[in-house]
Amino acid sequence: MTTSLSANPSTLLPLELVDKCIGSRIHIVMKNDKEIVGTLLGFDDFVNMLLEDVTEYEATPEGRRITKLDQIFLNGNNITMLVPGGDIPE
Amino acid sequence: MSRKEALTHFMSQIHGRPVVVKLNSGVDYRGVLACLDGYMNIALEQTEEYVNGQLKNKYGDAFIRGNNVLYISTQKRRGG
Amino acid sequence: MAEETEQVITGTVKEPLDLLRLSLDEQIYVKMRHDRELRGRLHAYDQHLNMVLSEAEETVTTIEIDEETYEEVYKTTKRSIPMLFVRGDGVILISPPTRIPGI
Repeated sequence: MTTSLSANPSTLLPLELVDKCIGSRIHIVMKNDKEIVGTLLGFDDFVNMLLEDVTEYEATPEGRRITKLDQIFLNGNNITMLVPGGDIPE
Repeated sequence: MSRKEALTHFMSQIHGRPVVVKLNSGVDYRGVLACLDGYMNIALEQTEEYVNGQLKNKYGDAFIRGNNVLYISTQKRRGG
Repeated sequence: MAEETEQVITGTVKEPLDLLRLSLDEQIYVKMRHDRELRGRLHAYDQHLNMVLSEAEETVTTIEIDEETYEEVYKTTKRSIPMLFVRGDGVILISPPTRIPGI
């Protein structure tokens, strides 16, 4: 796949940053205040993602709920932000 | 770029495996994944519905509309 | 090489919407957003999950706060609708009747 730089003035396309994260930990912030940390195995044009060794952080009325998951196929629809590196939120 | 292969491979080998499907609402569905399409529409067999971790319903087969899906989770296969 | 470039689907083409195709003219259960549930006979559907149901029963669940005890009370209201169009974007889950394999 070739990237046409003439069509896009920025030198680094946003998704190239995501591509650089493959194989390393990534922190994902979802629209509904959920956060997910995991190792990025792959993603597609919609930024649907395949992640491994995942920790999910959910805000509930009882406090933060943490769920550990082996492998997830994450729907890209509700992603707000991607932060390279897997620092535990807050 | 974008390593789509990892996703296509995942989607091609997920059939018949036990999965947890989590919706944006927080509801979990546990069952055997029958099939999946590009919208993340899912057909599940032996489906159990969990609300706040409590079993609320069982369905023989269930179709889940993809827009509600947050993720599909699987256990790693250990030792084949 | 060939397996890499072309995805060969084993056996019959099976996609999630097939579950609905097999449920045509059958009684189905539909879970909708905003705590709404439907049971009815499936007459038609499309790729958006727009559907036509007949002899449908709608169940709406609401939470009310008891004025004296401040407890949450779940109230369900039901109504029957002879024929109904369902817009697909409200659909969460559809479950066909339990089928005996091989029939």
